[in-house]
This record gives sequence, structure tokens and C-alpha cells, in this order.
Amino acid sequence: MRGRDVVFALTVAIFALVLQSTVFAEGRIELFGASPDLTILAVIATARHLEPEPALLVGFTSGLFADLLGGAPLGLWAIALTVVAYVTVRLRARSDHGLVAIGVGVLALTAIGEALFALTGTLFGQRLLMSAGVLRLIFLPAVWNVALAGAVLPPISKVLARDRTRSWRP
Amino acid sequence: MFSFRRFDRSTTLFVGLLTVAFLVATFDVRSHGVGLGETMREGAQVLFAPLQRAATAATRPVVGFIDGLSDIAGLRDENARLQDRVDELESQIQEQQSLQNRLEELEAINDLEPPGQLSAIPAQIFSLGTSEFNHIRWINRGTADGIALNQTVIDEDGLVGSIDFVTESSARVRLITDVRFGVGVRNLETNELGTISGRGDADLQLRMFNAEKPVARGQLLVTDGTRFPAGIAVGTIVASAETAAGFLLETTVSPAIRVSEIEFVKVIVGWSPLDAVGEGDEPQPAPNAPVIGQ
Repeated sequence: MRGRDVVFALTVAIFALVLQSTVFAEGRIELFGASPDLTILAVIATARHLEPEPALLVGFTSGLFADLLGGAPLGLWAIALTVVAYVTVRLRARSDHGLVAIGVGVLALTAIGEALFALTGTLFGQRLLMSAGVLRLIFLPAVWNVALAGAVLPPISKVLARDRTRSWRP
Repeated sequence: MFSFRRFDRSTTLFVGLLTVAFLVATFDVRSHGVGLGETMREGAQVLFAPLQRAATAATRPVVGFIDGLSDIAGLRDENARLQDRVDELESQIQEQQSLQNRLEELEAINDLEPPGQLSAIPAQIFSLGTSEFNHIRWINRGTADGIALNQTVIDEDGLVGSIDFVTESSARVRLITDVRFGVGVRNLETNELGTISGRGDADLQLRMFNAEKPVARGQLLVTDGTRFPAGIAVGTIVASAETAAGFLLETTVSPAIRVSEIEFVKVIVGWSPLDAVGEGDEPQPAPNAPVIGQ
């Protein structure tokens, strides 16, 4: 694993976080009351190509950054995004990377990330599951992420997959 | 396919990272965000705030354009509503002028001092939360400007929220719509007290215990002066309701602020909840206090 791949993945995650917290957020650009979760999408996009350990570290670090910029206790997004990275790493080997498989994967992984954040947040006293329309807040970002995946995943794949045999493929 | 050794290492790392994250969360909750968590958040602000400010400045025209597109459909209805509002306000102005004259007479008679203006620091929002679940805003003022924890944040419409984290050059505002936010309120018409809590994107929830009078749609609720200065508009009743089960009244309230349009706010400094409490007194509602935001 090249160090520059990890640096690139973290840069993508930071860029996604900055956009998430300034443009695609509650109170800014929303469609039907929710916006895409670019941070989760960035973690999925990079974890598809990084080796397992760096992928997990990128997920954890991205989550920690999201915690630091958000309003919940530290660690909640770190938990959610580490799980997203781990499941991505586990599933990618079994996927033929067809468009449908990728779309379903992005949908499920985003929903898992959002649901985990809401669940752990509630366990830590944040009352997040008391939010109105909690299912909408979990599933709509997943739908938007699927819609954005076509534009986000290919360029990231192009950078991370070039000059390298996909060691994780069977 | 992964080798067993590689799979095992990644799973071990996965469990380790989850353990660390749970420990960090537990530590942060137990320490109420101070200590290591505070230091890390301050460091993150140093790194991210310039990027976020640049991104906000660069994308403002695009966001504004998209907001404008989504607003076009509602402009016609809004125009008709505003015309009604203008008519209503004109009659209120005449009534207000009459009341103002009476107030000046009373002040002269009783030698009353007019209520002092609260000091406030203007601030601009440069970043929002990272999740749909947390309703927060970051502002470009911090301890260096006199901002401190728990200070009241308002805009021209009313109560925006309160400061719940502050660094030297920035501060985090928890909005009244956040599920963790609660505020004591007074019904301006019945003068009865209650509490309001945020519910995310939905309207606020009002609870009044032992309320003797029902509440009606359109009634204005203001801060009661316990946690925030008295008389700041919080919202208006959406649905009429009366006490149920003998003691509890519950209904929904539309926030006075327009959450998606907040760009500039004011942070009230130099006011403390202790200001509302005299020696040995409970906080008292101020029925005649001016309403901020209406």
C-alpha cells in the first residue's frame, strides 16, 4: 500500500467533510428534508480500493474529524464510519462490482452508518432517535448517496486503482 | 481473496478501533466535552475553520441560487401573506403608538428607568453540523471576542439557541430545534409558563404543567427569563390545545427563527441567569417586557 493512497483517501474525506458542513447540511441544500452524507460516501469510495488496515484507519480518522466538527460526543461517527469501512472491505471481495451491486452497497452502507450514529448517540444520551422523521434522516441520505455515487466513485477509483493489481479481488 | 492472516489482522484492528471509539465517547460524555475533547475540538477548528470559511464564501452564490429556485414556487403565496401582514402591522403600529404614549406617561409618573439594552456581539455563521441529527452552527466569534458558554444567541426573528462550545476564535451554537435543546417559555397572552424542546426538523414541542387556560393557534411564546433573558420570541403555537389528563398540556410550536436562512446572529453578553433572580426570589416572568424578535 502506497502512503500516498492513504494521504489521498484522507484528503478526499476532509474535502467531503468541508462540503458536508458548509453546503450539503441541515439548513443548506436539502431535498425532501435531507441531504447526502458525503463523508460516508468518501469512506466507501476509498475503502473499496485501500488495503484493509489503511481502509479502517481512514474510516476511523474521518469519523473522528466528523465528531470534532459536529455537535455530538467524540467517537460516535468514528464508530459508525469504522463499521462502514469494515463492511465495505468485507463485501468488496464478494462483489462483481456491477452497477446494481454498487448501488445497493452504497445504499445499505450509508443507511447502516446513519442508523449506527443515531443508535450509539441515543445510547450516549443524545436523544437522536427522538428526532422527528428519524427513518427519513437515515434512508434519504442513503438515496442521495446512491445518486451521487455515479459521479464520485469513478474518479476516486481511477486514482486509487491505477498502476496496481487489485489485490483484494479473487 | 484475503489471506486468513490478513483478514485476522483487519478484524483485530476493527475491534480495537471500535473499543477506542467507545472509550473516547464515554470519556467525552463523562467529562462534558472538556479536557482532551476540548483540546481536540480546538485543534480541529484551527485546521478546518479556514477551509470552511473559504468553502462557505465560494459556494454562497450557488447555495443562494438553489435556495432561490426552491423559493420561487412559494413566492406568490408569500406575497399574499405578506400583504395581510402589512395590513395587520399598520393597525398594530397605531395601537403601539397609543401604548407608547401611555408608557411614557407612566414612566414620568413613577420615575421609572427604561430597561437597559442588553449588550450583544454580532457574528456570522461559517459552518453547520456534519449530520442531519445535530442542529448546530459554528460562528466566527470566540473567547477573544467575549463569547462564553451558555450565552444566548438571537437573530432578528427571536431565539436562535445557545453557545455550547467555544474556542478562542469560534463558537458552536446549539439551535433551539436540536433534540438536546430545552427552554422555559411564557405564553404572552395567558402569562402561563411551560417548557419547549427541539425535535429536529419538525416543529418544537411545548409542555405546560398545570396550565389553567388552553392555548390557541398563533399565540406567541417568549423566553421566561430563567435560562435566557426574558421576552425573546421563541415561537408561535401551531395547534390549539388544552390540559389533558388533569395536568399536562402538550402541543407543537413553530419556531420564530427561519432555521435555513440564518446567516448572521447576535450573542448576548453580560447577562447571566442570576440577573433574573433577586435575593431569595424565584425568577419572575415579565409580562410587560419588550419582545425581541416580533
